[in-house]
Amino acid sequence: MNRLALGSFLFLGLACSEPPSTPIPRAGTGDEPRYGGTLTVATFANIRGLDPQAAADALAAEIDEAVFAGLIDFDDKGAIVPDLAESYELSKDGTTYTFHLRSGVLFHDGNELFARDVVRSIERALHADTPNPFASFFRRIEGFDDFQNKKTPHLVGATAPDDRTVVIHLSEPDATMLPLLALTNLRPVCANAGATYSDTWLPCGAGPFKLEAGGWDRGRSVTIVRNKDYFRKGLPYLDRVTMLFNVNPVSQALRFRRGEIDIFRDISNGVGLQWLRDPRWKDNLFYEPPHSMGGFAMNTEMAPFDNVEVRRAVASAVNREHYRLLKPTQLTILGQAIPQGVDGFNPRAAAQTFDRAAALEHMKRAGYPFDPVTKKGGYPETIRFVGYRQGLIELEAQLLQQDLAEIGIRMEIALVSFPTYLAMTSQRKSVALSEQAWSADFPEAYDFYEALLTSRSIADSGGSNAAFYNNPKFDSLVDDARRELDREKRQKIYDQLSQILVEDAPWAFVESYRLLNATHGYVRGYRPHPTWARDYKSIWLDRGATQ
Amino acid sequence: MTRFLRRILSTLLVLFAVVSATFFVSQVLPSDPARLVAGPQARPKDVERIRLQLGLDRPVLVQYTSYLRRLVHVSTESGASLDLAAAPPSEAHKNCGTLGPVHFDLGRSYQMRRPVAVLIAERFPRSIALAIAALFVQLLVGLGLALWGTLTPNGRVDRALYRGSAVGLSVPTFVLGIVLQYIFAYRLAWLPIDGFGETFLARAHAIVLPALTLGIYGGIGFYRMARSELQNALGEDYARSARAKGAARTRVVLVHALRNAAIPLVTVIALDLGTLIGGAVVTESLFRWPGVAALSVSALLDRDGPLLLGTVLVTSIAIVLSNLFADSLYSIVDPRMRGKERAVTGR
Repeated sequence: MNRLALGSFLFLGLACSEPPSTPIPRAGTGDEPRYGGTLTVATFANIRGLDPQAAADALAAEIDEAVFAGLIDFDDKGAIVPDLAESYELSKDGTTYTFHLRSGVLFHDGNELFARDVVRSIERALHADTPNPFASFFRRIEGFDDFQNKKTPHLVGATAPDDRTVVIHLSEPDATMLPLLALTNLRPVCANAGATYSDTWLPCGAGPFKLEAGGWDRGRSVTIVRNKDYFRKGLPYLDRVTMLFNVNPVSQALRFRRGEIDIFRDISNGVGLQWLRDPRWKDNLFYEPPHSMGGFAMNTEMAPFDNVEVRRAVASAVNREHYRLLKPTQLTILGQAIPQGVDGFNPRAAAQTFDRAAALEHMKRAGYPFDPVTKKGGYPETIRFVGYRQGLIELEAQLLQQDLAEIGIRMEIALVSFPTYLAMTSQRKSVALSEQAWSADFPEAYDFYEALLTSRSIADSGGSNAAFYNNPKFDSLVDDARRELDREKRQKIYDQLSQILVEDAPWAFVESYRLLNATHGYVRGYRPHPTWARDYKSIWLDRGATQ
Repeated sequence: MTRFLRRILSTLLVLFAVVSATFFVSQVLPSDPARLVAGPQARPKDVERIRLQLGLDRPVLVQYTSYLRRLVHVSTESGASLDLAAAPPSEAHKNCGTLGPVHFDLGRSYQMRRPVAVLIAERFPRSIALAIAALFVQLLVGLGLALWGTLTPNGRVDRALYRGSAVGLSVPTFVLGIVLQYIFAYRLAWLPIDGFGETFLARAHAIVLPALTLGIYGGIGFYRMARSELQNALGEDYARSARAKGAARTRVVLVHALRNAAIPLVTVIALDLGTLIGGAVVTESLFRWPGVAALSVSALLDRDGPLLLGTVLVTSIAIVLSNLFADSLYSIVDPRMRGKERAVTGR
């Protein structure tokens, strides 16, 4: 007997005997936040590092947000608000930010936080010896190159004229600087962190939670506890937050049902669909804002995608609704580069849509007419598609193969390991067609356009522009958007970029991705944060004695 | 003595070949460890800086020779410690595991950013504990079933067990693990769903399900082998003579047949020990048992060179040692084999 079939049969039998679960209710009736308790969350992934200045894992950001306070932060609507800074202003020429710090803020080690600590932390983050994967985002801070090349001992663009003032000078106006500064990357760290990164340093900042002594068991869990000296009085409510790593989704589901996990994030599609239809779960399901998008990159330097008409044909041939149905709880159709949860997304912007007749017309114009009835004609060669081994990608590749067959393009699927996929797809003239996805490094449309589609992101190997799309006009508009500080004017530029992408079709944009979360009724004050997913300082627990 | 030295030399040669092959194969694979450290979305300039920091810009042969040169050396300085609060060692020895003055420098994991020697020292005992517990279950299940089937008259139990074992062998470990997890951890709540535990008692609880998963799976295979060995032995002249002399079936099975069947069975058990230490990937992942096997897989997926080499080296040593262990057990079980090379290698 087939092993998998037997296994599935046994497990399904057991699972079917399980009565439908319901959320564990809250104990009280009031809405007054209660203090205390431990919140437990889990992930199938691992967090490799918690040092905000070297953390590369997406999930590290929500722990770092809880442990480290920044000059500014994102509020629960995604707007940028002062945090350690009481206020800030930008010079008229748009190149100098001045931050005025609160007084009396204490680090977790008990020392007071001064402006020089902010500058010290910025220099530590951008030091050449710190493995900061985001350092180059800050290259427009004056003196960045000299400091990175160790020509100057200090970063001239970041100064502390007095104890409460931090000044950041830029070489030119940069609309991305505030969202970048609101990330955790440059946040002040305790003095024991030293001048550069060290593997053995344990997180210590000025945020609402601090790392419990021995609370980071690498590969297994991290536990943070309430910082009683947090500068926002009355916050946080929780005594402790524990995040478990490497917990497979099946174990997570069992733990969640038993109330051992309070917020369940890695929900399978089947369970998600069941709960979304179940009125008992209505108030306990939440979507994180979509910060990720996916689609297919067509290498514009390789045949047949050096022909814009073939690219347009592919972009029109993709029946996005079918792709959405592969994971309906998480995928939303997206015909443009910017996902719905990112600043710069415009639902009315030009977007790609499914239109097979148009696709066939584009094939004709490209010189490869195809008759869908007789199946004659089309592109004569077989195109190689490269993706990596992952459930959704494997299914999407097959759908694409069918969609392209309908317009006369034959495609073979090559699925490789993730490291090999990264190496292959970023190498020049190596892969004609590939699965691609991007998550916001910071919630601004510029991040997507710059990384995925400008010629600056093309490299012989290791670049992030997998379509090798090179359009000087596009590049220059992306630059204009970065320099444009007026949000409305910037949006107009982004809309122009969307229009160009519809015309040039370097990608077939397919979907955006959002995660479904479930909580029990006793988890209060929780709404997925637009940037951090979980903002632990606003959550409180209303558990009964028996729960 | 000469045989012993020859054995040690061939062992070292095997380990050298395994390390070298792993090193060069991981170099040939089309991937960029620096980009995997920086994250798939990192910009080329940041990846380049991280590449320099990791020393990956050096020629491959230079990386290889410096790894081998540092692998085993002698020093009076202290090395890396499991205790994070301990005084940090000097820069030159920050990655060294120590055995007296002998230092083992397995490098620093690119991804975990900790000395490989420390990561392995942390996890290796847990893998050994799981392997021993699983072997115990395997022996209990396998031998228990084989004896039950063989000792029960009429052969009905034996036939039922034998057919059932074919089904049992078809169930992959992850399905068995999930089913056990569901019944004993979720429904009955007798045991933790996964994890490792903080206290000895909690760990004793936590090891039960992964050990059962590995042990039952291995035990079914072991049962089939033990059954066939017992039946072969029962067909031998000495067993028939014993029966003819009036010995009870139980005595013939337990005293005569089992003693002779034990030779290949012991070999298999000893060899399984090595395989279980490094090969319990699925079970370790399913139950979040922090052992070496799960570590080696993540090292491979992340192209974490030093960690991959370290786990391969340690797993190879475990297999080589379990082979030696099998040899010594072999001569204990069968006095005729003392001083001779092993002829049967088992499965």
